[in-house]
Amino acid sequence: MLQVEAVNKSFGDFKAVDGANLAVEKGELVAVIGPNGAGKTTLFNLITGQLWPDSGKIIFRGEDISSLPPYEICKKGIARSFQIVNIFPRLTVFGNVQVAVLSQQRKSSLLFPPAQNLATEETRDILESVGLSHKATNIAGSLSHGDQKILEMAIALGNEPELLILDEPTAGMSPEETTATLELIKRLAGEWGLTILFCEHDMDVVFAVAQSIMVMHQGRTLIQGNLEEVRENREVQKAYFGGE
Amino acid sequence: MELGQSIDLASLGSQLLVGLSRAMILFIVCAGLSFVLGVLRVPNVAHGSLYMIGAFSAYSVFALFGTSSTGFWLSLILAPFVVALVSLIAERALFCHLYQREHLMLLLFTFALMLIFGDLVKIIWGAEYRSVLAPSILRGSISIFGSSLPRYNLFLLIVGPLVAIGLWFFTSKTKIGKISRAAAVDREMVGVIGINVSWVFAGAFVLGCFLAGFGGALVAPTVSISLGMDHDIIIEAFLIVTIGGLGNIWGALVGSLIFGLTHSFGVLLWPQFAIVFPYAAVVIVLLLRPRGLLKSVW
Amino acid sequence: MFRGTIDLKSLWPTGAIFIVLLILPPILPRFYTYIIAVIFVTSLLAMSLNLVLGHGMIFQFHHGVFYGVGAYTVALILTKTSLPMWIGFIAGPIAAAMAGLLIGWFCVRLTRLYFGMLQISLGSLIWAIVFRWYSFTGGDDGIHGIPMPPPLSSLNNAYYFILIILIICLVVLYLILKSPFGSTLEAIRDNPQRCEAVGVNVRRHQLMAIVIATFFAGIAGVLFVVLEGSVFPDLLFWVLSLEVCIMCLLGGWFTFAGPMVGASIMVALRTFVGIYTEYWTLVLGVILILLIFFLPEGVMGYFLEKVKPQAEEGAERRSELDVAS
Repeated sequence: MLQVEAVNKSFGDFKAVDGANLAVEKGELVAVIGPNGAGKTTLFNLITGQLWPDSGKIIFRGEDISSLPPYEICKKGIARSFQIVNIFPRLTVFGNVQVAVLSQQRKSSLLFPPAQNLATEETRDILESVGLSHKATNIAGSLSHGDQKILEMAIALGNEPELLILDEPTAGMSPEETTATLELIKRLAGEWGLTILFCEHDMDVVFAVAQSIMVMHQGRTLIQGNLEEVRENREVQKAYFGGE
Repeated sequence: MELGQSIDLASLGSQLLVGLSRAMILFIVCAGLSFVLGVLRVPNVAHGSLYMIGAFSAYSVFALFGTSSTGFWLSLILAPFVVALVSLIAERALFCHLYQREHLMLLLFTFALMLIFGDLVKIIWGAEYRSVLAPSILRGSISIFGSSLPRYNLFLLIVGPLVAIGLWFFTSKTKIGKISRAAAVDREMVGVIGINVSWVFAGAFVLGCFLAGFGGALVAPTVSISLGMDHDIIIEAFLIVTIGGLGNIWGALVGSLIFGLTHSFGVLLWPQFAIVFPYAAVVIVLLLRPRGLLKSVW
Repeated sequence: MFRGTIDLKSLWPTGAIFIVLLILPPILPRFYTYIIAVIFVTSLLAMSLNLVLGHGMIFQFHHGVFYGVGAYTVALILTKTSLPMWIGFIAGPIAAAMAGLLIGWFCVRLTRLYFGMLQISLGSLIWAIVFRWYSFTGGDDGIHGIPMPPPLSSLNNAYYFILIILIICLVVLYLILKSPFGSTLEAIRDNPQRCEAVGVNVRRHQLMAIVIATFFAGIAGVLFVVLEGSVFPDLLFWVLSLEVCIMCLLGGWFTFAGPMVGASIMVALRTFVGIYTEYWTLVLGVILILLIFFLPEGVMGYFLEKVKPQAEEGAERRSELDVAS
């Protein structure tokens, strides 16, 4: 479904992503792991168009998307959440998700019909399935950190993606919240038939959820494989487990 | 339409001098504006008013000394200090309480200051036109290669670079200058190393306004000093600072040269629309280099 | 189709104000009728700016240019051509919107202060041309004595015409703000990066908002000509543009009606303080500073803050019902 081939990105002299490779098959739950500064977030920004690669190819369903702007990539069926909470703080929880649903339904530019009668069904369904419907009228900026991370995901679901990209979905969460969020991710993958690509630096999280794991180190891809392959790989042990 | 008629070398030379000397005045004013922008991140709309106050104060000092040449030299020295004092009062009494607020609110505040200063000038100096006479050594013109060059413009060509060198020395060689430059880039850091950021801001603001006053005093002998000087210069100053790179003092110099020269050559090419040329130049620069010609500190 | 957009509670006071405004002209002295009409025109200008400034956080620093373009277009058509008057009235807003499209197209590539600066320079370019092109625009003299047909030539009739156009424009602006377009615009204001990631073409959306706002500024320009019968380059000067920004901030730029309140305050101050002293800008400056220190959210923002407790409870209950049903 998604192939990342030999992608590079430098900021000045610093090679943030230096020959990354990644393959995601339909229906898979794929994790990208690596220590802080390994280039995971940069890689995700390259895939979803916040950044453009210096070289290499990013192919989604047979189409090169490496130089498209973010809104085009979103329309192709890739939606994402961000590592640092990135919501619309002054809108309600409902309004946050509705913006995405309206955009998905190509209704963002309608000038006259009142927004409050549009896309309500879909928005409610999404809030229902992530468990935020009782907070629908709260101002998003006033939610707890954990709820804001969930809202992040809910916004991404508003685009009815085929591929959902989650950048450290459990960052900053308490252990209980983390467990609940992992359950949620697994459930969403099943119910919505999603393909999910996510990154984490917490190993337990990754091994509990992922089916395929890609390991990044200093911007390079060390290996991509299933849990066993990754665990037994020498290089990975040296770079990652040895380092901790 | 007498497009491009009668352009000869002599008029080209004297227009060049007019453009350059205008650019020097603009540079001195804009360097101050840019310095305030860089350190405080505030587009100070009242900067033009301070320039006007500088010009009027220069007139008062000049009149006090019986319109002598001593009066002129003293006006160049004292007028900027009057402006600096005014700005210090405004900063300490009001402005320093607002630094945490929304950017547009700070803009609104300086706009309010502009309104107040405008009327204060009207109350103190009245609505008549005033003028300052340059001392005899700077009056008249000398002729070089057949073009007659006004001495005062040549004087401005000396003062402008001196101010530039002085500013460069201040920002890169003195401790206070280095601190204010650091504050422009990273204010938290300056706070961490135990410097009172509030006073750094006050100092930067006063210095910027001092330059506005100095510009006003310098321009006094070349124009009739009147209400409305503030409106005329402030928008030009903002555009110059933007094309130069916000907060970059050398950018202010480059921007001033572009603005002054395009205007004076515009006068040669198409007098009726000379005023259009500098604005067009600004548009072209911003389309090619949206963030300004030189690196902005933002 | 518009079910639920309009809050019934605020309909009563709005209606009452409207009726008062309808019966005022015969009662009031001519001068006051004129001042209220000036407030109407200025309010529409401020409202049009706030669509992009308050609801879109687009730093439209030179909005006056589009007001001036609208006014000059209708003035030139009425004085230099023999086209019927309604063509001029329609051409004004369209010309303003086209100027908005052109200038906006260059500006939306930049953000914030840089956007504002590029707009000021492009706008000043237009101002400078109008200011110096004596043979076409009348230069710094402007154009005076623009003929109006009999139905609009008396002050009271002009008043009613302006009032009706203002009401129509306000309703349309309100609907636009409550539409998906408006809510997406507010989402862009809050977080443009996230908006791109959910598939919104942020720049195109902002450009569209600018075109709409400049169209309404053009209507305000036409109304200005109807009221004053003249145009002059000051309409396009940056001081007026900045004053309009101030009106939005003063009235409360995150509220719908705030800019109208701000416009009323500014016009009233200029008129009535101007009667007592020539130093009205000094008074305005002092009042602005007091407002900045004591009412940071603007007059309307302060008012809404005060009445919020009851109003919000009601709103919350209503929208809960909406979500649950």
